[in-house]
Amino acid sequence: MLSRLVLRAAPAALRALPPPPVAVGVLHATRQLHTTQQSLAPLPPLPEKGGEVRHGLIPEEFFQFLYPKTGVTGPYMLGTGLVLYLLSKEIYVINHETVAAACILSVIIYGVKKFGPDVAAFADKLNEEKIAKALAVKNEAIDTLQTAIDEEKKEQWRVEGRTYLFDAKRNNVAMLLEANYRERLMMVYNEVKKRLDYQVAMQTLKRQKEQDHMIQWVEKNVVQSITPQQQKESIAKCILDLKALSKGAHATL
Amino acid sequence: MNLSFFDQFMSPSLLGIPLVLISMLFPMLMFPSLNNRWIPNRLTTLQLWLLHLITKQLMTPLNKKGHKWAIILSSLMIFLLTINLLGLLPYTFTPTTQLSMNMALAFPLWLATLLMGLRNQPSMSLGHLLPEGTPTPLIPALILIETTSLLIRPLALGVRLTANLTAGHLLIQLISTATTVLLPIMPTVSLLTTAILLLLTILEVAVAMIQAYVFVLLLSLYLQENI
Repeated sequence: MLSRLVLRAAPAALRALPPPPVAVGVLHATRQLHTTQQSLAPLPPLPEKGGEVRHGLIPEEFFQFLYPKTGVTGPYMLGTGLVLYLLSKEIYVINHETVAAACILSVIIYGVKKFGPDVAAFADKLNEEKIAKALAVKNEAIDTLQTAIDEEKKEQWRVEGRTYLFDAKRNNVAMLLEANYRERLMMVYNEVKKRLDYQVAMQTLKRQKEQDHMIQWVEKNVVQSITPQQQKESIAKCILDLKALSKGAHATL
Repeated sequence: MNLSFFDQFMSPSLLGIPLVLISMLFPMLMFPSLNNRWIPNRLTTLQLWLLHLITKQLMTPLNKKGHKWAIILSSLMIFLLTINLLGLLPYTFTPTTQLSMNMALAFPLWLATLLMGLRNQPSMSLGHLLPEGTPTPLIPALILIETTSLLIRPLALGVRLTANLTAGHLLIQLISTATTVLLPIMPTVSLLTTAILLLLTILEVAVAMIQAYVFVLLLSLYLQENI
C-alpha cells in the first residue's frame, strides 16, 4: 500500500527535482561521487620496493606500531608469550604435524634464501629485456630517421652544386665540338697538302728524269766524240802533269 | 588436536559446512590478477613467464586445432601444481588426494579427447588400437590389449595422481610420527628419522610438481593422438 503511494507520488517528485547538472560526477551539488581523476593514463608508477617485512612474514609497520609503547623488544615478547601460551594451554598440540611443519618450513626457507636473489634477478632480467627490445626499436627508428635527414641535407647540397655541374658539362661539350672541328680542319688541310705534294712530286720527278736523260745523252755524246788520238794525247798530258807535280812535291819536301 | 592419520584426507568441514570448495579455490588467490601494466612487478613477471613456458611446452606438439585446448590444459596444470605444492604445508587439506576429484578431472577430459577423435577422424583413432608393424597372428590379441589400455587411461590418470599424493602425504605423516615418538626415547634415531623426513619432503615437492606435469602431459598426448 505504501509502495502504491510512492509509485503514485514518484512522477510529481521527479518533476520537482532540479534538472541534472551537466558536470560529470556530481549528482547533487552537495555530494561528489568520483574523488579521483578517473583516467587511466599515465599510470602511477609502481613503488620501487615492496613493503618492508621482518623475518619474511611480519610487516615492518607492526613493529613501528608497537614501538612507542613497548620499544624494540615488544613484538618479540608478544610473539614469545603467544607461542608459550598456545603451547602451555595445549591450544596448539605438538604432534607429528609439527615435525612435518618444521621440515617443510626449513626446506622452504632454505630454498628462498638460496634461490631468492637469483629468481629476483631473473625476473628483473626478463623485464629489462622487454624494455631493451622496445628501446632498441625506438633507437633504431631514431637512427634511421637521422640518417634520412643527413642524406636529405646532402642531396640539397648536391642540388646547389648542380649549376657547376651543368657548366662543366657544357664546357666539355663545347670543347669536344671544337676539338672535332679542328680535327676535321686538319684533315682537310692534310688531304689538300697530300694532293699538292703529289703534283709537286710528279713535276720534280719529271724534271729529274729529264735532267738525268739529258746528262746521260750529253755524256754519251761526249764519250762518243772522244777519238782514240785525243785519248792518247790526254793520257800523255796527264802523265807529264803528274811528273811535274811529283817534282814540285819533292822540291817542297 | 589429536590427529589420526585419516584426518588430513577427510574433506574439511567447519560446523557442518563443507569447506572443500574453498580449499579448491584458495590456490587461485596465490596468483594476482593481471593489470594493464606492460612491465609488471616481479611476481607477475614470473607467473607470466611460467605460464608462457607451460603453454609453449604443451602446445608445440599439437596442431592448430589442438590450440583450442591451451587454456584448459595450462589452467589445469597451474591448478594441480598449486594444489599439490600447497598440500605440503602442515594442517592443509589437499583436494587432489581425493580420488573423486581426480577422477572428475581425468574422466571427462579423456572422454572428450576420445569422442573428438572418434567423431572427426574415426578410422584413424580406431587405427591407433593396432601399432604398426605387428605380425599378423598377434593382431586379435593386440587389439584387445590396446582396447584395454585405452579404456583404462582415465582410471590410470586419476589413480596415479591420487596414489602418488596420498602415499607421499601418508609417508610424511608416518615418518614424522616416528620422529615424534622416538624423540624422548632414542634422540639419535629421531635425528636420523628427521634427516629422512627432510629428504622425503624434498622428494614430495618434486613429486608434487612432476605429477601435475605428467597428468597434463598425458592428456595432451591423448589429445595429439585424437585431434
